[in-house]
Amino acid sequence: MIGSFLMMSSLLAQNKIEFQERTLDNGLNLIMHRDNSTPIVAVAVLYHVGSKNEKPDRTGFAHFFEHLLFEGTENIGRGEYMEKVESIGGTLNAFTSNDITYYYEIVPSNYLETALYMESERMLHPKIDQVGVDTQREVIKEEKRQREDNRPYGSILRETMKRAYQEHPYQWVVIGSMDHLDAATLEEFAQFHADFYVPNNATLVLAGDIDYEQAEEWVSKYFEEIPSGPEEFFRPSVDEPKKESEIRDIVYDDIQIPAIIQAYNLPPKNHPDSYALDMLSTYLTGGNSSLLTKELVDNQQKALGVYAFPLELEDGGIFIMQALPNMGVDPDDLESEVDRLIKEVKASGISEREFEKLQNIMENNIVSQNSSMEGIAQNLAMARVFYGDPNYVNKELEYYRKVSKEDIKRVANEYLRTDGRVVLHYLPKPQDND
Amino acid sequence: MKYIFINLAFLFLIVGNHALAQVDRSSYPSPAPAPEIQMGDAHSFTLENGLKVFVVENQKLPRVAFSLILERDPITEGDKAGMSGFVGEMMMGGTTNRSKDELDDSIDFIGASLRASSNSVYASSLKKHQEKTLELMADVLFNPIFPEQELEKLRKQALTALAQSKDSPNSISGRLTSALNYGKDHPYGETESEQTLNNIQVSDIKEYYDTYFKPNIAYLAIVGDITPEEAAPLVEKYFGEWEPGEVPNHEYETPTPPATHQVALVDRPSSVQSVVRITYPVVMRLDHPDYLVTRVLNGILGGGTSSRLFQNLREDKGYTYGANSSFGADKLVASFTVYADVKQTATDSAINEMLYEIRNMAENGVTEKELEIAKATIGGSFGRSLEQPSTIASFAINAERYGLPDDFYSAYLQRLNAITVEEVNEAANKYLKPENLYITVVGNGNEIYDKLTAFGEVQKYTNMGDPERELELGDIDISAADVIENYIQAIGGRESASALETAKMRLSAEIQGTKLNMIVLYDVPKQRMMQRMLMMGNEASKTIIKDGKATVNAMGQSQTLPDEKFEDVKMSMWIIPELHYENMGYSLELEGLREIDGKEAYKVVVSNPTGGTITNYYSVESAMKLKSESQVEGETTYLAYEEFEGVKLPVEISLQSPMIPFPINSKLEDLEINPTFTEEDFN
Repeated sequence: MIGSFLMMSSLLAQNKIEFQERTLDNGLNLIMHRDNSTPIVAVAVLYHVGSKNEKPDRTGFAHFFEHLLFEGTENIGRGEYMEKVESIGGTLNAFTSNDITYYYEIVPSNYLETALYMESERMLHPKIDQVGVDTQREVIKEEKRQREDNRPYGSILRETMKRAYQEHPYQWVVIGSMDHLDAATLEEFAQFHADFYVPNNATLVLAGDIDYEQAEEWVSKYFEEIPSGPEEFFRPSVDEPKKESEIRDIVYDDIQIPAIIQAYNLPPKNHPDSYALDMLSTYLTGGNSSLLTKELVDNQQKALGVYAFPLELEDGGIFIMQALPNMGVDPDDLESEVDRLIKEVKASGISEREFEKLQNIMENNIVSQNSSMEGIAQNLAMARVFYGDPNYVNKELEYYRKVSKEDIKRVANEYLRTDGRVVLHYLPKPQDND
Repeated sequence: MKYIFINLAFLFLIVGNHALAQVDRSSYPSPAPAPEIQMGDAHSFTLENGLKVFVVENQKLPRVAFSLILERDPITEGDKAGMSGFVGEMMMGGTTNRSKDELDDSIDFIGASLRASSNSVYASSLKKHQEKTLELMADVLFNPIFPEQELEKLRKQALTALAQSKDSPNSISGRLTSALNYGKDHPYGETESEQTLNNIQVSDIKEYYDTYFKPNIAYLAIVGDITPEEAAPLVEKYFGEWEPGEVPNHEYETPTPPATHQVALVDRPSSVQSVVRITYPVVMRLDHPDYLVTRVLNGILGGGTSSRLFQNLREDKGYTYGANSSFGADKLVASFTVYADVKQTATDSAINEMLYEIRNMAENGVTEKELEIAKATIGGSFGRSLEQPSTIASFAINAERYGLPDDFYSAYLQRLNAITVEEVNEAANKYLKPENLYITVVGNGNEIYDKLTAFGEVQKYTNMGDPERELELGDIDISAADVIENYIQAIGGRESASALETAKMRLSAEIQGTKLNMIVLYDVPKQRMMQRMLMMGNEASKTIIKDGKATVNAMGQSQTLPDEKFEDVKMSMWIIPELHYENMGYSLELEGLREIDGKEAYKVVVSNPTGGTITNYYSVESAMKLKSESQVEGETTYLAYEEFEGVKLPVEISLQSPMIPFPINSKLEDLEINPTFTEEDFN
């Protein structure tokens, strides 16, 4: 027993991430990680609300809040939030996904209390007023133009998601619909905050140069008085029906080089098969020696690039493959080569040596990922929310180790089914359509 | 009972609130005493061959990274622009010990990263694979074989990427601003084109490698879970034999800001947003006495989210997702740029606000509060950067490269904090040039051109950053009809030209080694035409015009064009379209003179009754047609003519269209004049 345990831990090159965890009376989850080597601390709040929690006629709300919550609170004036964080030598940002919204500050460690006060302010009483709403609406419209409309291939995710999901709210993209945002009233925004931005739907993470006791005391001081939200949260319980036939479309875009997109529905993020699917995507396109890169980019030179990645989501994401043909190459030709190679994997699986290579790559990736305080904060928060335990960050490699060679072949057959996929061809728009 | 329970809960809540009311939320908590920022040290040593090595030990993660950088002057590549972009991947294209496949596999097998560029090689891996990683890195560095087929692959990819970049507003803007700021003959302003990419040979890459990959201009940073004692023998083992050699120096004239505002527009009709970059070149180096104060200046103007530009254009006006500025620093020359992607209808308003912010800061300076925020922001960012051990390595390398004083980084925060408002204002006055700006926009010309004229004369540029030249027509008394008639005379006269009733042409072209053939049948009296495109012997597309309609077959799909489109296609269905303009009821307009490939040309716009147009350019000197542009066919450039049956016909043409991402040169292989066609020929 002891022997095998020792062997196991030497196998795992990963350094353990120590942490403390506690739940406040109002339901707020607190995770703290201490590392005094640099005098900074990352303060992050993960709200378990993303675009999937929105109503179909009010999409884009979660992302809208990502903007709105920088506008100010009852005690912090408009425009002051960002200025304050910068004026104490900190930085801040936030992002929204289909499942969660994540806000963070990284501040010099002597300003930990300030950062906690500020995060508690926007949980307790953010200012949701007409000026802020009107401004951020315009900003988000420009964000959408910059990310999607004015950018070649910018609509890929929107076009893919709306076909990959017939029922599930993943069918709309995070930035949502500008019409919905235009139509929404102030009261609706306020209600959305009351529904989701509450302690019992949040995880607060501190990582960096902290003293556990002092940090916990400040957290209690600023967060304990925030009232709990509803006991139940609206989380869609939609099972996306299995597709029986391929969905295939052409999208015309302002591009010169076509693109081929294939999307296959995935199991929920915390499903045991996720690890094998991640390894499969690495086998296909991770690194110069990966199957598709070697064959299509180097040998046949049909592709400028091929990329496969599992977009893992709480209720089941999509496995996206993207191939860009080199000039003069017919997209159909490239697509049939992609399909041929995947079929080969399904039929023959992968070799022992390739499997060993995949394990080495995964080990490297996981060991490398906790290189910053903000990164550690984020990984701890995600681990807590998606896997129910922050300690998942220390176990992830073990889960990858459990994947067998046969699992990779099996998941290729089980999930990369051509009869249930979405295929899009992005083609240059004829010029006079503009 | 339930009622009471709720009441109790309510009571409890009030009590709770009361008890917690002592939390003072009306003001920010006071900070704890400022922590001391501790900076690690880099251990350094120099090999006999001149390679300078820096080791920064950090055991947080069981990883090691090796980063080799060459310190050379920037180089110009001229008619081989893009060459240096191939060097790194060519080095990774195989060595005397390993084929590319073996190399790629060896790297991936241990989960390592290894990449090279024209002035760097970087490798990293888990600690346990460090020796193998070093061996692979050294193999790439010392034994590359530069295979020909790898160059062809890279060229193909670069041409594809270039084509992509021509549609990307940011790439277009980047090319334009570099060309304006530095000039196209400067290393930072050069742009690669299809032509320059096609000029690059394996020998160019070898020559570059032989010239510049020398230990005496190289720095090696080793960062991670490794001690200097462990690193030293490894470095000696893998890099000790590297032969030093003399490396050439290069000097360039320093670009200067424009004398007055220059307004530059790239018309991108599909744009729904305007990419605005206001810029000019600046000379600023890390070792310049004003380096830090210009960081502060930029921070206040457009550094972060609390900066003036961000607050004004985004938070106040909602014109953009983000507005910022950058003040570069470089050994040679850098640029100052104010940038935002803005709402189309607010393009001019946004530019006005940007100009206002530049001028206002130059003239009125900054406030004490802004200075404090900027110091905190820059200092904070400096502090956070120390989280990564690689920062210490780059500090050590910079100190060497620029000959910085020993305390440059250790006293960085002290010097920052000593900066006064007066110093910032002085720098604002000295470095901000509110009268000497390149105001550049990539956007929809139809919507924004007129508004841009408010800022000065608008010069249009191509998506490659070249000026679109327009010449003055002057007093020349000539009509569009005259230009057409002169052309018909120049090719051999109306009579000979009209005698060509049918023709069968075969044209050939080559794209990246792929043979392309085009077969065109013209039947003027019966008003039919067919064009087939063959790729490696297979039909890629076929267009047939007959019986008053046009059908296009491509990618396995067949489409009959709508009437309006048919009218457009019809404009070029003739052997010599100019003979038919009058009969077809087309209107002609002479729009002045343009320069086409260095020749002056009349620009004639031919419009059909449904609004379709073809623009033709006829040489002023020879009267010959030099170029045509149409929405349907893109750009056709006529490179050479030959005479057949008394009529000059183009035998070499270059085609460029939105459907083909780079120009195709095609040659007339054979021509049959007045053959007899059957119905089947047009199926």
